[in-house]
Amino acid sequence: MPWWITGRDPAWGEFERLRREMDNLFSTFSRDLSPSSLWRESKLFPLLNVTEKDEAYTVTAEIPGMKSEDLEIKIEGDTMTIRGERKPLELKSDESYHRRERATGVFQRSLTLPGNVDSENVRANYKDGVLRITLNKRKPPKSAQIAVTTE
Amino acid sequence: MADQELQVSEKKEVAPAEGELTHEGIYFTPAVDIYESPTEVVLLADMPGVGPGQVDIDLKNDTLSLIGRVGGKPEEGSSLLAEYRMGNYFRNFRISDVVDREKITASMKDGVLRLVLPKAEKAKPRKIAISSE
Repeated sequence: MPWWITGRDPAWGEFERLRREMDNLFSTFSRDLSPSSLWRESKLFPLLNVTEKDEAYTVTAEIPGMKSEDLEIKIEGDTMTIRGERKPLELKSDESYHRRERATGVFQRSLTLPGNVDSENVRANYKDGVLRITLNKRKPPKSAQIAVTTE
Repeated sequence: MADQELQVSEKKEVAPAEGELTHEGIYFTPAVDIYESPTEVVLLADMPGVGPGQVDIDLKNDTLSLIGRVGGKPEEGSSLLAEYRMGNYFRNFRISDVVDREKITASMKDGVLRLVLPKAEKAKPRKIAISSE
């Protein structure tokens, strides 16, 4: 072991530098309010994938075997909620299960939307058991050049 | 029962040894329900992303193979959140002699495959055509 490790220098200085860097890193995270930081991973049904393009966000979820009227999508303020129920099969008295793996029940999942989503301009579509929600972004205001007058 | 909360179940990837898959890509094991009535056995398999024309059902000897190929392309753009993976589906079932192999019917709707296996005495191998809805 080299002698200088116990001598607080320069290894100690390296520790201090790392600690400062970590602190900076965490404060950067907590200040980060960019759209991408709003999409948080969870273990709630349905699992979601979110992608971003220039003009829109796309949220997709695999929810097989639903009727579109049993799916509810609501936007209140900056919160979008996906809600529904996957109903169990109704078996007749002379029918019986051999195997039952497909999950049933109610589900609800809420997302905080980025500020640039145009909540009046949201489309949802359900095909082959996949729900796809397109959230268009609000168009940025046209850029304007401001003339500076001199007095 | 009605208000039971639906739990997330992670998609299970098919182990390579389970089947001889010649196509590339990820394969998941679909969740299935199987129930029996006095006249038939019904199999339901969750295969979200698979359309009516993208299912292959093969019956060889006593083995019924389901293969569902996921239709849509991955979403364009940069990924902000990726909680589930897209992939194909594969699962084998053993069919008993109770099933009339000539009369098996299949339909695909909203990402759920429904196979109806009527009961009978015959046992002949054949390929099953899919009806689309």
